[in-house]
Amino acid sequence: MVLKNIRLAVLLIFCLFSVVNTFAQDSSGASARQVVEKFQNELIAVMKNGKQLGFSGRYEKLFDPVSNSHDLTKIARIVVGKESEKLSEAQQQKLVEVFSRFSVASYAHNFKDYSGESFVFDSEEETARGGVVIHSHLAIPGDKPVKFDYMLKEKGNSWRIINIIANGVSDLALKRSEYTTILQREGFDALIAKINEKIDNYSKL
Amino acid sequence: MPMNKPTSCKRNIKFQQNFLSALIGVVVTLGGCATTEVAEQQHIAEKADPYENLNRKVYKFNDTVDNYVAEPISDAYKWITPQFMQTGVFNFFNNLKTINVVINDVLQAKFHQSAEDAGRFALNTTLGLGGFLDVGKNVGLEQNEEDFEQTLAVWGVPQGSYLVIPFLGPTTVRGIPGTVFDTAANPTSYVGLPVQLVYMLNARASAEGALKFIDEAALDPYVFTRESFLQWRNNLATDGKTETSLDLDVELDSDDDSTGKNNIPAADNKASRALDLYPETK
Repeated sequence: MVLKNIRLAVLLIFCLFSVVNTFAQDSSGASARQVVEKFQNELIAVMKNGKQLGFSGRYEKLFDPVSNSHDLTKIARIVVGKESEKLSEAQQQKLVEVFSRFSVASYAHNFKDYSGESFVFDSEEETARGGVVIHSHLAIPGDKPVKFDYMLKEKGNSWRIINIIANGVSDLALKRSEYTTILQREGFDALIAKINEKIDNYSKL
Repeated sequence: MPMNKPTSCKRNIKFQQNFLSALIGVVVTLGGCATTEVAEQQHIAEKADPYENLNRKVYKFNDTVDNYVAEPISDAYKWITPQFMQTGVFNFFNNLKTINVVINDVLQAKFHQSAEDAGRFALNTTLGLGGFLDVGKNVGLEQNEEDFEQTLAVWGVPQGSYLVIPFLGPTTVRGIPGTVFDTAANPTSYVGLPVQLVYMLNARASAEGALKFIDEAALDPYVFTRESFLQWRNNLATDGKTETSLDLDVELDSDDDSTGKNNIPAADNKASRALDLYPETK
């Protein structure tokens, strides 16, 4: 009888724990789809005020949304591939810092104005290695839609974007080819100088 | 004359194979005691673009020609031609290209799509005043992108190396017979030079946005163009079905701190170990 009671109590605690656990997951960690949609909404909001904000205004407004939805540290590490083993701790930190600024600057430059565009969710897919792909597209009035597929991985208890595939072209694969080639041919300092030059150009265009 | 084309392509492929094996030979010899794994690794890296040095030179040449000839003429064309005319001219040539799209739909056994594209062509040629208006788009008939290079891909012909052709730009070994066929199947190829010049001008003017994007975003424009070209062609050939294989999962796991080294897939692990061993065997 006592044993039965204990078993019941354990079961009850177990149930309670799982309820609390689900609740905790719901409130803290947003789902992959929520992370992507939140970021897309923030992007559209900046586009709507794009002209008034100017480049620096868009950059300021987008810095947190990009940093919070993308795993920029991980992306910066992947794009240098095996070359990262040759980089010192300080160089790796420098790369993450410059790469993060470049990512925000590209968004600020390429999403500068609004003419009725909207992001539409298409489907969600789990990959074999525990990632999630959110398929969506950017609907542009009077033009062909652009497919945006976001690849996310779990970081702690939240999902972070680590790759964007636009109309079948993977941003991560593209950058990795570029960055590893420059590191091999011209070295680390040249890579950083080139990225800084691009950020500078974006701010002037 | 056209009879010579396939022969020269065949010779090209054979030459390329010989060149590739010679290249691997050089890599192995230079590596001295390097293991075959290292040679394999380098072979894989150079597989897509074994002629990078030559390609880079041609790329630079094309870029110079574009900067000093094509771009100024294209800018002038854009300046004197109203936007609706540019769109009309684009639609006209695009409509003629649809004949080729229909042929390739059939060759790839996409019969439903071929009926759609044929309907689109008929609609635009008649109601669209010879193709100047894209009526098809307005009634929801989106244009499909098919060409002979994609057909060859569907038939299982391997892509071959990446090549940059003087004046014409990026292609692959498979792209050469593809372009020859597409040119032969496009009515624009059989009209006079002035029409072809307008076609080329309009094509350059329409590419303005993409070229500007590369200029602004690329750290290494050559690599940027190569990667985006190869990925874009691959995406077209597979009708967008390869997108999730592009998620670089292998690299992600091997770079993941939390998963640790134990999770590195066997092949990757082997490759990195081979690279570690390389200095010791020297």
